[in-house]
Amino acid sequence: MKILGLYKNSQVFKIALAIAIVVVCYIASMFYSQMKKLDSTVELIAKSNDTQLELEKLLSVISNYETSLRSYIITKDETYIEDRFLSRGKIEESITKLKLLTVNDTARNNDIGRLKKLIDLRFKLFRKTLLLAKSKNSGPLALNEMLLESSHVTEMMKSFVTKIIFSESTKTEFENNNHQFELQDSIITAFLLVILSLLILLLSFQKMNVDIDELKKANDQLKLVNESYNTAEMTAGFGHWMVNVGTNKYTFSDNLFRLMGVEPNAFEPNIENVIPYIHPDDLEYVAKVHTDSLVSHQSTSMIFRFLTPNGDVKYIMGVGSFTKNGSGDLIKIGVNYDITSQYKKTLELEENNKELKYINTELEAFNNIVSHDLQEPLRKIQMFISRLEGKESDLLSSQGKEYFSKIRVTANRMQTLLIDLVNYSRTIKGDKVFVETNFNKVIEEILQDLATNIEDKKAIITIGNLPTIKAIPFQVKQLFINLISNSLKYSKENSTPEISITSKKITEKEMHDYKIANKKDYHKIVIADNGIGFKQEYSDKIFLLFKRLETDPKYSGTGLGLAICSRIVENHKGFIKVKSKPNFGAKFYVFIPKGDLL
Amino acid sequence: MITHQDSMHILLADDDEDDRNFFSEAIQELRMNNKLTLFKDGNDLMDYLVHPEIKLPHVLFLDLNMPGKTGIDCLKEIRSNTRFKDVSIAIYSTSSSEKDIEDTFVEGANIYIKKPNDFSKLKEVIKEVVNMNWQFHTSGLNIETFFFSI
Repeated sequence: MKILGLYKNSQVFKIALAIAIVVVCYIASMFYSQMKKLDSTVELIAKSNDTQLELEKLLSVISNYETSLRSYIITKDETYIEDRFLSRGKIEESITKLKLLTVNDTARNNDIGRLKKLIDLRFKLFRKTLLLAKSKNSGPLALNEMLLESSHVTEMMKSFVTKIIFSESTKTEFENNNHQFELQDSIITAFLLVILSLLILLLSFQKMNVDIDELKKANDQLKLVNESYNTAEMTAGFGHWMVNVGTNKYTFSDNLFRLMGVEPNAFEPNIENVIPYIHPDDLEYVAKVHTDSLVSHQSTSMIFRFLTPNGDVKYIMGVGSFTKNGSGDLIKIGVNYDITSQYKKTLELEENNKELKYINTELEAFNNIVSHDLQEPLRKIQMFISRLEGKESDLLSSQGKEYFSKIRVTANRMQTLLIDLVNYSRTIKGDKVFVETNFNKVIEEILQDLATNIEDKKAIITIGNLPTIKAIPFQVKQLFINLISNSLKYSKENSTPEISITSKKITEKEMHDYKIANKKDYHKIVIADNGIGFKQEYSDKIFLLFKRLETDPKYSGTGLGLAICSRIVENHKGFIKVKSKPNFGAKFYVFIPKGDLL
Repeated sequence: MITHQDSMHILLADDDEDDRNFFSEAIQELRMNNKLTLFKDGNDLMDYLVHPEIKLPHVLFLDLNMPGKTGIDCLKEIRSNTRFKDVSIAIYSTSSSEKDIEDTFVEGANIYIKKPNDFSKLKEVIKEVVNMNWQFHTSGLNIETFFFSI
């Protein structure tokens, strides 16, 4: 892994490559000098060979000449010596050639000089011999002597030439050996050069491959990121743009073009070209915010409108901030977000809110009418009824008295209904202040308020240990007033009403039935009575507005009491349930969440 | 102005004529020894009270919803004047709204009576309130005992 890492590290690779190239250069220069040396050796050998050849030629010319002379002496035939001047010319030519060949070798050059003198001497002897042989007055003795001397000089010359040739051939042999060595060296160097070059080539190629591979991978990755970014922008309704503050060059994302209602890259991205797509009313503001930010380098945030070519208006949330790019240039990046639907929803909500507020005031006004303006005349009617009953009842017939009592009952019923209506509308009203409410204390108060009613019915009421809950106190009071009143109202005529209010643990069945996640999430308070009860199938109906089960006039009611209870428990994010059976009383279960659920 | 020559002086300010009649009839039927003075609105009441020579009432029954000076306005004016510190003020209103009860309690009324819808009850209320031991009631006053119920 480490090596691979080093390999991947471009810096390390560059250094290695530089070293390799230096080594290759060094070997190459060595190879060059070796070749050069080899070249000069070859030249030297060639010269030496030429010298030897020339010397041999010289010797053979002289031998030929001697043979021809002897043949003449014996045969006296002139043809043998016909070309003697020609031979002389040949020798001169050879000497000049030899002098040229040995121009770099002084000792050899001197040798050639000496050889020339010997040859000259020999030719002098040739001429003397020839003259003696031709002369008619010379005896064979003198000729013999001359011939002896001649052959002596020839021998001397021959041995001299042989010496030179030998020396040359020794030199050639030495050079040749040298040449062999150098050739071998050169081959090794050349081989090394090739191998090293190949290695570098291979490494470079491999490295290049790896780099290209990585580049390709990075490119693919970038493409993928770009693509997913584009898709993300499209799905989320985003578009982004960038400007290099230094060069004032803008780039827009594809979706930014789409936000403006045109195809991607529909125009050159710059400020001037965007202007037609910004709503004319917002243009000044947008331009100011943008140009100011380019001076102050402060982040921007604004809401403006795009006006697309087909006339659509889009609400855009635009934010911009500054950053530095890789080369240290200051860049402003902006993201534009299409908030049209949100904006429209907000407007709609605002509109709804206004309407709701209006309805609320209406409701309050209605509440006032019911609680005061309607009660006022009703109260007076009741007052006059009581006045008439007290002072004038003796003047009425029994029939009139009965009518009169019916008027009173009806007026009273109307009063109860009005009070219940006020109570119900109070449970809907917005001002709900939650405070820690001790339920035992609330019940105590209620029992005082209902004391007469309880005494009339001779009811027995037991109160358990109740919790303290964060609640709306007056609503809690209303809740228990209604529940206790309800139990008192629907008590059995000939037995003592018994009502108990206790706090109970939530059962497994209840958890399952009412989808309670945790037993400890809710308080459960049970209001149980031994009254007339009702069929369990009505258990949901009784909490509905104006739903009454009993039509018997002795159980007077408005049909609002339990609806108010249900409403109050709902206000506390709880729920109310009831279990009952005709003649076996009813059990109301109030579930109110604890703590954070409220 | 109807007055009764009696030892105890009671005032009632109420813009509703019927209510004034019920009230005086009740007092009559109760045969209590007291003097009742009636005012048809808050302005009338305050005009009367500013006279320095008048004998201060023991109890003032004050309706809240009146044209001109409302019950609350009168209550504030009276309670800002130390001359009337011994006058007991009973709010006498159709409303039983929490806001009205709290406001009048804070402004220094002594008791809050919701106008009854039965004449016999009215008589009972007046009897109770007029004969009330104000010192005892005021010393233990709180928002619960402030709202009068029979």
